[in-house]
Amino acid sequence: MAVLWIFSETTASTKELLGLGRELISAVGGSITVLMGPDGEGREEWAAYGADEIILLPPLADGLAMEAHIPVIAAAAAEEKPDIILLPATARGREMAPRLAQRLDTGLCSNCVAVRWSGGDIEMDRVVYGGAAIQTVKFLTRPVMATVAPKTFSPPVPEEGRSARLRELPPLAAGTVPGVRIVEKREKRRLARDLTQAKVVVAAGRGLEKKEDLALVEEVASLVGGEVGCTRPLSEELHWLPTELCIGLSGVSVKPDLYIGVGVSGQVQHMTGVRGAKVIAAVNRDENAPIFAQADLGIVGDLYEALPKLITALKK
Amino acid sequence: MPHIVVCFKWVIDETYLRRAPGGGLDFSSVDYKLSDYDRNAIEEAVRIRTALGGTVTGITVGPPEAAKGVKDALSRGMDAGVFIADPAFVDLDPSQTVSLIAQAVRNHVGPFDLIICGEGSGDLYAQQVGPRLAEALGIDCVAFATQISLEGGTLTAQRRLEGVIEVVTAPLPALVTVLPEINTPRIPGVKDTLMAGKKPVRTLAKGDLGATGGPRLQTLAVRAAAMERACEKFGVEEAEVIRFVDALKKRGVLA
Repeated sequence: MAVLWIFSETTASTKELLGLGRELISAVGGSITVLMGPDGEGREEWAAYGADEIILLPPLADGLAMEAHIPVIAAAAAEEKPDIILLPATARGREMAPRLAQRLDTGLCSNCVAVRWSGGDIEMDRVVYGGAAIQTVKFLTRPVMATVAPKTFSPPVPEEGRSARLRELPPLAAGTVPGVRIVEKREKRRLARDLTQAKVVVAAGRGLEKKEDLALVEEVASLVGGEVGCTRPLSEELHWLPTELCIGLSGVSVKPDLYIGVGVSGQVQHMTGVRGAKVIAAVNRDENAPIFAQADLGIVGDLYEALPKLITALKK
Repeated sequence: MPHIVVCFKWVIDETYLRRAPGGGLDFSSVDYKLSDYDRNAIEEAVRIRTALGGTVTGITVGPPEAAKGVKDALSRGMDAGVFIADPAFVDLDPSQTVSLIAQAVRNHVGPFDLIICGEGSGDLYAQQVGPRLAEALGIDCVAFATQISLEGGTLTAQRRLEGVIEVVTAPLPALVTVLPEINTPRIPGVKDTLMAGKKPVRTLAKGDLGATGGPRLQTLAVRAAAMERACEKFGVEEAEVIRFVDALKKRGVLA
């Protein structure tokens, strides 16, 4: 029997964590608790998706960010001792999880990509060395904690007629209110094209020499009916493409039928966002680039030589 | 004038990792480097010092060989280093690293205004030391900043989350982790490297600090990532590119 807690700020990642949670709990029995903001928005759904209990967190004062829930969650976890706590490997989750783990004096598997029971233990896999290797860990302390890579686990099939208990946690005690205050919030621009829904994604990487060369990548994308994405340096350092097209840990995660990385080396931050692709293809002149170890098909060669030939071949 | 502490790690340069027969990793020809993300952390600390004055103290945990990393980090403009060194300090749990750094900061570094960490380490990329360290020291934490400034005892940081950009403030002392796009790290010159050798480094041995507690995670295996997708490689000649397109069609991912 195991008690599993989930904390996530978005509906999509809560569903994915419920998918993983149900898989884990169905093997050993137990219950799933979803912790969520005080408005409880969407909570009716969580029962059908596998939650046995909903915990509503106390309201936060104006200007406080989501991380201000940490003291309340940590205090509740210290008292109730859940066996497993899962958070999504979003920016928020990747900040909150280590802080909770530190308060609970326990181990945390960051950005986990696979989970299984082995004997009575949970084992998890994560990607290390810039994508070159997979580390498998087990936990020597409780609770078991993990941040889970987005789009790694599928939402469960909802079951009608399930219900979940509802309870609330008391507000922050004086003295535990953090000093961080939000003074400005800007929604990121939403693009008409939605990378996360694309069937084919062609990603441009650092191998491109200049902005104009994106035209080559765009032509390949249009020939295969796909969308163009990019690695972080292209959107965040060079500003060749908007931030919304950045794929990876600090950008979006995609799950297309086909992903083609062009001049993409294959660093873990980027590849985490494309692991769910059915087929991963790559074009890179460095035979030892980590992307080839994570790809199904790869052209080893200069992209300036390969792409024109690829365009010709695709036009046939 | 602010005292900024910056954390850094001397890591295996992953470009030298090779796949060993049997799916393991071949570490035989590895070289080491200052973790890429930490170069941004150091640069940001030095940038602030250049603007406001003050000092930058770098701190790292590692085996004695990581002394090279201390010198490398100092050549990037830090004023002084604290090196927590022991042959056993390899592949520590993030919680153990944090315990050592927190003790060193409390007992050997003196009052500070800001701690800057990279977003994660270039080797294991657990992204835990920064946020855990803030908790261990009981200070405010802002993760994944793309822009920071200090003024009148307050940190202002812009951070990037999935759908939104937040500008936040926090009272000092605070800890911030920074994303690579925050700056472009300098490349040290010969003079910087020579000067680095003259800067003060305080080395702390295991006995200078208290216990860290045991590891919280146990690594069962580290294997080459190539196991999951067996990459079929193609050349760049016309016939090879056509074969590549055919292979995509065969897998049903091209119309």
